[in-house]
Amino acid sequence: MAINERRISRRGFLRLSAFAGAGAVLAACGQAAPAAPVAPAAPTAAPAAPAATAAPAPTTAPAAPAALPAAPAPGPIDLAAIGGMDKLVELAKAEGALSVIALPNDWANYGEMKKAFLAKYPFIKLEDLNPDGSSAQELEAIKANAGSNGPQNPDVIDVGFTWGDTAKKDGLLQPYKVAGWADIADELKDADGFWYGDYYGVMTMEVNTQVVTNVPQDWADLLKPEYKGQVALAGDPTGSGQAINAVWAAALGNGGSLDNPTPGLEFFKKLNDAGNFIPVVAKPATIAKGETPIALRWDYNALANRDASAGNPEIAVVVPSSGSLAGVYVQGISAYSPRPYAARLWMEFIYSDEGQLIWLKGYASPARLEAVKKAGKVSEDLLAKLPKISAKVAIPTGDQISKATDAIKAGWPTIVGATVK
Amino acid sequence: MIDQTLPIPDTAPKLRSRLSWVWLGVLPFFLFIGAFLLYPAVSIVVQTFTDPASGLTLQHILDLNTPFIRSSYIYTIELSLVTALGGGLLGFLLAYAITVGKLPRFVRATVLTFSGVASNFAGIPLAFAFIATLGQLGLVTQWLRSIGIVLYPSFSLYSFWGLAITYIYFQIPLMVLVVAPALDGLKREWREASENLGATSYQYWRYVAFPVLMPSLLGAMALLFGNAFGAHATAFALTGGGSQGSVVTILIGAQLSSDALSNPGLGNALAFGMIVIMGITIAIYSRMQRWAERWVKQ
Amino acid sequence: MRVHRIWSWLWLIIGATYFLLPLAATLQFSLQAKKGVLGFTAYANVFNDTKFFESFAFSFQTALATILISALLLVPTAYWVQIRLPRLRPLIEFFTLLPIVVPAVVLVFGLARSYNRTPLTDSRQGLWVLLIGAYVVLSFPYMYRAVDTGLRSINVRVLTEAAQSLGANWLTIMARVIFPNIVVALLSGAFVTFAIVMGEFTIASLLAQPAFGPYMNLLSSSKVYEPSALAVVSFLLTWGSIAIFQGLSRDVAR
Repeated sequence: MAINERRISRRGFLRLSAFAGAGAVLAACGQAAPAAPVAPAAPTAAPAAPAATAAPAPTTAPAAPAALPAAPAPGPIDLAAIGGMDKLVELAKAEGALSVIALPNDWANYGEMKKAFLAKYPFIKLEDLNPDGSSAQELEAIKANAGSNGPQNPDVIDVGFTWGDTAKKDGLLQPYKVAGWADIADELKDADGFWYGDYYGVMTMEVNTQVVTNVPQDWADLLKPEYKGQVALAGDPTGSGQAINAVWAAALGNGGSLDNPTPGLEFFKKLNDAGNFIPVVAKPATIAKGETPIALRWDYNALANRDASAGNPEIAVVVPSSGSLAGVYVQGISAYSPRPYAARLWMEFIYSDEGQLIWLKGYASPARLEAVKKAGKVSEDLLAKLPKISAKVAIPTGDQISKATDAIKAGWPTIVGATVK
Repeated sequence: MIDQTLPIPDTAPKLRSRLSWVWLGVLPFFLFIGAFLLYPAVSIVVQTFTDPASGLTLQHILDLNTPFIRSSYIYTIELSLVTALGGGLLGFLLAYAITVGKLPRFVRATVLTFSGVASNFAGIPLAFAFIATLGQLGLVTQWLRSIGIVLYPSFSLYSFWGLAITYIYFQIPLMVLVVAPALDGLKREWREASENLGATSYQYWRYVAFPVLMPSLLGAMALLFGNAFGAHATAFALTGGGSQGSVVTILIGAQLSSDALSNPGLGNALAFGMIVIMGITIAIYSRMQRWAERWVKQ
Repeated sequence: MRVHRIWSWLWLIIGATYFLLPLAATLQFSLQAKKGVLGFTAYANVFNDTKFFESFAFSFQTALATILISALLLVPTAYWVQIRLPRLRPLIEFFTLLPIVVPAVVLVFGLARSYNRTPLTDSRQGLWVLLIGAYVVLSFPYMYRAVDTGLRSINVRVLTEAAQSLGANWLTIMARVIFPNIVVALLSGAFVTFAIVMGEFTIASLLAQPAFGPYMNLLSSSKVYEPSALAVVSFLLTWGSIAIFQGLSRDVAR
């Protein structure tokens, strides 16, 4: 190859790389630099950010990282401010759509909830974003789509308990107090109305009784050799809320407490060493197949699967007798919601007696349970179908949840996951 | 001055203009990939090296240096190498069978179209298919038990080799698809000519066929390696529930797509590490290409 | 030659066993929807939904668009790299392999963020363009490898010289000389791309697109036997579509 061509090609190569690199750096500065949040970020259509924002001065303001555009003014705080339910329906009709995120149909009877909502308000076009998403992805979806009016921008979120506070701190939520606000217990909601508990469940053992004839009743039973290769979690214990809570619940039954989840990790190490634990992610199909006949899941998931299976296979749902814990999920309206009135309509629906009963039918304990019971809305046979939980159920605070999840997340690879092929 | 074999048309513009003209040919590609991959993915690099509180930092990279993360990278690289080589070899043999191996035309069409689907049959459907086949209560497991061979616990679908066997399900078809056209390019006349000159089968392959095929084979292996390296859903379904050895993509998922308050800096650093490893793979593969070219010239 | 053929058939049979067994196991499980009886209940549930065909059609169209754009982008690029810019090859190969290691969630959130204040994210149609862009990028590793292999197996320089000496310009060379000769290789890449687009769901779901992947996922999260039925059905449908491609392309090549 002639020298000239080689030199030209290399120069061209370098030029191109430099160009790409410079472009990347410029773009990066535009995306990440926390400039002082005084002026609302000018809505630039072009992706290349002006060099002015390139200075990475750390911001002192605690509010949203300035990479996010300024949120639109928050909507009305409750029904009174809107002007009544009919006015709300009217305003929601004008918007005509709603985007929800990370709501699987089989989770806490959300399938029926969505159907009932659409039946009552047929003018709403529902967009079901990322049903298998995690709480982190929900917040990320708000951040990435902030300022957009499209259907991919979520209006409402349903996240794990600690995420409500995180979302509020990041400026991702707008406050709203539903009609039944007073019925929600204080420890289950944010005083300013940014997030509010919707339902909670108890950690249970879901057992395929056709494969496992001797159903375990407690944590200690799981260590027995007859359950070799049969116990599984429903997710990644370093990332999934359900799996982390399973480990934490195990701690409660093995000498730990809400403040000390380490015995849970040690229990799983014992389970793993005994060969009883398999790393498959337990799903209804794997439980039915018999590959993960003992799965640790929330009671609403386990009971819903039991009902859906209708005996094919037979499933037993057991709350460990030495105790379990409850996991609370919270709702919130996105600060950047392009359809704030539809979002409020959704909230009013799920917190209405009708909505709360749908959750109850799905075996999730709704936040306004006591009020709904008092109003006599819970039928006798529904009450009969609800599982009797006699064991102790601990309800952790937000602080305990953060500390415990960090501990389990960090502890699992070191205590349980000794890397052996 | 420039490439002698290509005749320069009289109407060609002068050297400097032709220089920019040449780059024009690849400009659409770079624009597209800039707009739809590089620009969106630049956040990986940015979040690896910045911290919301303290600006530029190398801490996230340093955080990668824990035994668990190091062994995860090694585990993933080993898994990818094994399935790239294994899938590559088996895929080559299958591609050979349907091209040079003179199987009927409809077999070739069937295998190629099947490979198209199977190369993407991954994730939960594939994982479940293998659980139903080789799991503790799987079809093949129970059949083997009936003839006296007990697989578990010495073999487990949820171990390294179990994952490898599952990965190969989409690696082999990918290899077949990529290599079949290359094998088609082996002209029959070359084989006949070499036989006329008295060459043995081995000599034909050593001096004619493999040198011609080598660039395509190496490229295909690199693709297979990348394919296994980036695979997430399959590994997650089989071992994501708390395995002892995790592939890096699961670790990334635990940081970036989590229900537990996580460390996005670490997640992005893990992804950045994967990009670096892919870059190194390309560098090694290019080196091997050049080495293979020299081998051809012998 | 006879030994040759036995060997080929042997490999085929071994391969067929390995590939068909897991599918058979899935099929067997999907037939168990009714307790104790083998039946097609799960399949009936799958086909009862109108959204099944709508979402399949949507993804089908998206796949065709993706393959077209991907081919139009990559064939000239691979050609130029082969003929004029061989030094650029490692860089291009790195870029085309990059989509494999970038997690889908990172890509889709990156796209949403990057094009946030543009018309691309304000409507479903705009989001569809974004979706196709993302899918074209996802197809690069496989399409580029296929095109590159195809170009290597024909003598590109000789063909180009011959065409040029006959007075053809670059466009004619591309369309009438290069493209027809690499159709087989292009098809390989097209098959993989098609399967990818049909099965992908994270990006489609987060960009609010009514694609087949999210539909399948929504159905499968709750049920036990329907996911297996759906896996079998989508496998067969995708295979059928690809086979149709194959048949049509044979006519085109003539």
